[in-house]
Amino acid sequence: MTIGAPTLEVEVLVIGLFVLMIEAFFERIDKRTLAFTAIIGLGAVLAASFFLAPAPTEVASTGFWSFYTADPLAIFFKRFALVTTILVLVMMIDYAPIVRESIHGTTHQSGLGEFFALPIFTCVGLMWMASAIDFVMIFVSLELVTMSFYVLVSFTRRNPATLEAGVKYLILSALSTGFLVYGITWIFGVTGETNLARVAAALANPAIEAGPALFGMVLVLVALGFKIAAVPFQMWVPDVYQGAPTPVTAFLSVGSKAAGFVVLLRVLQPFFMLPQMERLLTMIALLTLIYGNLAALPQSNLKRLLAYSSIAHAGYLLIGVVSLSGEAVSFYLVAYLLMTLLSFAVLIVVAKQTGENIEDFNGLAKRSPFLALAMLIAMASLAGVPFTAGFLGKFFIFDAAIRHHQSALVVVGVITVACGFYYYLKVVRAMYWEDAASNSTVPLSGLSRMTMAAMIAGIIFLGVYPQPVLNALKAVTRKPSGDRIAEPLINRD
Amino acid sequence: MVTLGHYLIVSGLLFTIGFAGVLLRRNIIIIFMSLELMLNAANLSLVAFSRFRLSAAGMPNYNAQVFVFFIITVAAAEVAVGLAIIVALYRARQTTHVEDVSSLKF
Repeated sequence: MTIGAPTLEVEVLVIGLFVLMIEAFFERIDKRTLAFTAIIGLGAVLAASFFLAPAPTEVASTGFWSFYTADPLAIFFKRFALVTTILVLVMMIDYAPIVRESIHGTTHQSGLGEFFALPIFTCVGLMWMASAIDFVMIFVSLELVTMSFYVLVSFTRRNPATLEAGVKYLILSALSTGFLVYGITWIFGVTGETNLARVAAALANPAIEAGPALFGMVLVLVALGFKIAAVPFQMWVPDVYQGAPTPVTAFLSVGSKAAGFVVLLRVLQPFFMLPQMERLLTMIALLTLIYGNLAALPQSNLKRLLAYSSIAHAGYLLIGVVSLSGEAVSFYLVAYLLMTLLSFAVLIVVAKQTGENIEDFNGLAKRSPFLALAMLIAMASLAGVPFTAGFLGKFFIFDAAIRHHQSALVVVGVITVACGFYYYLKVVRAMYWEDAASNSTVPLSGLSRMTMAAMIAGIIFLGVYPQPVLNALKAVTRKPSGDRIAEPLINRD
Repeated sequence: MVTLGHYLIVSGLLFTIGFAGVLLRRNIIIIFMSLELMLNAANLSLVAFSRFRLSAAGMPNYNAQVFVFFIITVAAAEVAVGLAIIVALYRARQTTHVEDVSSLKF
């Protein structure tokens, strides 16, 4: 039994609408049922993604397949989006009591239904973005993601910090949308095309004016820089990450960033023949690495620390992009997904009892050894300790950079990794060497415990034996001949 | 005779005015209006490109015009969500001034 690739998005969309309908017509049920329904539904779609019919490999000139592709890279990131959404929904169930406090509705569970439904629509947007090979499609799916994040970020709106984060996210995302659209306009004006492959073909023509197209590409790059939180477009990140509800922060830092990188990999393809582009990207990567790691050093709020760490990781991912290694970027994103979501999952549970600051983690090892262990693994992996997924991720990135003769990036990268050890291990020190203020254990639901255990296992397993993901990525590289988008990115050198 | 260049200059002006408004104005509503101006600058140049770059058969490039409709739709949705957030902010803080929205600092 096989199904076509676009069916996956339709299925997820139907699940989202179904959850909204139950929310609208059945007021009395326990709203957490909706989250469980969504998790099971998304799990089924994830399983279905392994039974896909092969898609047409040639880029069609018109119609649906001219703006939609189901190449292995797209399928890989569709699964990535689904896994992220499922894990975020599990976190949202843990976070539900805080949402309930913040929304004064008519029933005691008002607002929860929408809180569980919106991530599903974000997931649809992420999945479409993974498949988009046309600027119009990229724009629309990016906006679907951004728009649902507007609502999610400012969801607990009685909390002034959340509302402030929501407004900042709104203004800066809308600004980046303006840049994206204007940039696409100029690229269209020069080439007369919106399809990426045909834009590339048009740019290869030496008679074309490359200047305005390059200007347009820089504007598009600015817009994507906002999405992936690259310096100097990172100013919204710390405030929004700190103010937003924690599961939404986790979703933002993994889902939104991964989608930004997929689009970046695809969009840069036509423009990498221009040497200015590579210099510009190297510059951005260097700035992002240095800023993200240095600014994280003095942080005392863990959510804000993770925000700066997410900027720093965008820097490592950009090294992979500059080195044209789609494989290393994808593996790094998988490692980043596991370790970031794990640290946010622990943060949500602990913050419910004490708080979000690092000193609230004091003595966690005595209070809840399991949570402390989970946080230890997440922090070790984020810092890049050997035998964790984070280490191999950085290893593949630096390996690609050395093969690509990007020595400046490797040197700065290695120095900043050392910097990262300091602030990640600060959290570990608080958990294992400080005394706790109270001795009460932190309550942890069975579902969350299971999810955390799975993520720990994933981090260690991929750190020792990365073959399964690499094999999935081999499928990404060894693609049918008709695909012109992702292949040269990986085999350029 | 109005040429493509004229349209592009006007659209560039609109984009610059919008961007300057976002950077310089201090009222969130006006910042939001400036953002919409930036989107409309893109719309204007897209339509101009479509009209002045005729295909061999003398037809305009309809891709750009369809893209304009998508931009208009997305902008409308963005305004709906954005104004709701700004109204919620006004209810909570009794202000729409950016200087008053800066409690998140380290």
